Amino acid sequence: MTRLTMILVLMSAALFALSALAGTAPMPISDTLAALIGQGDEAGRTIVWEIRIPRAAAAFVVGAALGLAGAALQGLLQNPLAEPGVLGVSAFSALGAVIAIFFGFAALSPLVLPLAAILGAAAATAILAIASMRGAGSVTLLLIGVGLSSLAGALMSLAMNLAPNPYSLSDLVNWMMGSVANRSWADTLLAAPALLIGAALVLIAGPGLRALSLGEETATSLGADPRRTRLLVIGGTSLLAGASVATAGTIGFVGIVAPHIMRPYVKHDPQSLLVPSALFAGMILLVADISVRILPLQQELKLGVAAALLGGPVFIWIAARLGRSAA
Amino acid sequence: MISVSGLVVHLGGKPVVDGLSFSLAPGEFVAMAGPNGAGKSTALKAVAGVTPITSGSVRFGEADADRISRSARARTLAWLPQLRSVAWNLRAEDVVALGRFIESPAPYDRLGTADRAAVDAALVKSDAAHLAGRSVQALSGGEQARVHLARLLVSPAPSLLLDEPCASLDISHQLSLMQTLSNEAASGRAVMVVLHDLELAARYCSRVIVMDGGRKVADGPPDASLSDGVLRRVFAVQRGPSGGLVRAG
Repeated sequence: MTRLTMILVLMSAALFALSALAGTAPMPISDTLAALIGQGDEAGRTIVWEIRIPRAAAAFVVGAALGLAGAALQGLLQNPLAEPGVLGVSAFSALGAVIAIFFGFAALSPLVLPLAAILGAAAATAILAIASMRGAGSVTLLLIGVGLSSLAGALMSLAMNLAPNPYSLSDLVNWMMGSVANRSWADTLLAAPALLIGAALVLIAGPGLRALSLGEETATSLGADPRRTRLLVIGGTSLLAGASVATAGTIGFVGIVAPHIMRPYVKHDPQSLLVPSALFAGMILLVADISVRILPLQQELKLGVAAALLGGPVFIWIAARLGRSAA
Repeated sequence: MISVSGLVVHLGGKPVVDGLSFSLAPGEFVAMAGPNGAGKSTALKAVAGVTPITSGSVRFGEADADRISRSARARTLAWLPQLRSVAWNLRAEDVVALGRFIESPAPYDRLGTADRAAVDAALVKSDAAHLAGRSVQALSGGEQARVHLARLLVSPAPSLLLDEPCASLDISHQLSLMQTLSNEAASGRAVMVVLHDLELAARYCSRVIVMDGGRKVADGPPDASLSDGVLRRVFAVQRGPSGGLVRAG
């Protein structure tokens, strides 16, 4: 483990402790700390271990998945503005979930919604994988991603038109904005297998991502296999994105912002960037989630909205700076 | 020993390389010359395995290039493209370390001592040791070219293919680059370099292959392959009264 990773892990642990203190239920700090180490009364332990910490864990895991996926996609496409949304994977994942919600399948079993989201991501992945196996380059994949995102948007509108149950619109809005409110350990565990496999695939692709820094042709001549790297990253990121969309809805920007901030600390190396980006993105969502819990608003701000409020301006700043250096 | 026989490469349906045959032996320092569009870069890419071959064969020793693995190819031959982009603002030594990707795919900091020493030596050979620690995008064009040369030299491969390595180098660094490559050949490597500067080719290379319209039109020692006839016919130049090349006409 590098020093940077160690620092990020310690900071994450501190944020977890902080998030145990934050919530709407009034609880003195001493009671919270007692509950955190398994002491104190039953109610306090329940609030901390069954409500606050699971929710924080969901926020961190979703953020880490998006940060890892973003860092991997940026390495693959050699573009600092890439993230799961760019390849249309998030949009298709959302489409899968929308269909599950609107047609009532989601009510059948708690497993249906996550499965539909992962299936949606997998559909986008299949299209990208076929294009990749036919030799499509990074630019082509980006363009296919733009097409997939638009298509998913259109299909979601179609699904709303055809939906038998108009009352589910509020469900949809809640979910499209992204939130980890009321997430239990079960929700995170449900997503865990897809997240772990996705993370493993992306980490295996790491060295290939560094070789790709010199372009596909040079990478090939160095003995790397850009096509294999592409398949690993596409497969891994769709699992990561699908599982995170299933857990928390659609949350943007963290996948772009976290790798960008971490890059100078790893000497811009695409492989060394992966783990720190995941940890930092997890921290960003933890902070965003703590903020929405303690902001004194009538109705709790959605996590996706908070993430966009924090990440949007940073994203614009990055894009503007890139434009200046390219000019 | 690299043997190319009857190589044909089509790009967009047109033959860019059309029946090229040549061989490259260890210890040789060969220049490939020819006017723009002669097919030099494409021929090099086909040998390096980054452009598909339409017909003909490329053999490394006894092995057919189509049949050997990526890693075996990377251990046989290293290729320096004409366009040398670096997607991220990597450190110079990390770019050079990529030259040993097939041996140890790690950034410079995490290389073993032997690999790290090889990177350091390559940086010295290409006169770029002082660039270690600098970010590649902050370097001048000539400095970047030397970092990429070091990336090529550090490769474990015995054969080196370089596509216009002298572009963007000042005259002093062009001469030192040719001397470095000449030393590599003397130490047993096979070196092939695409060059536009015929005088530089004649001065350093033991053999010059001249291409025109996808075909080989001359192959031999510089005096023979850069004959007055070839110069006039292929390059539209002739030797002037002072010995330098001037436009024919």
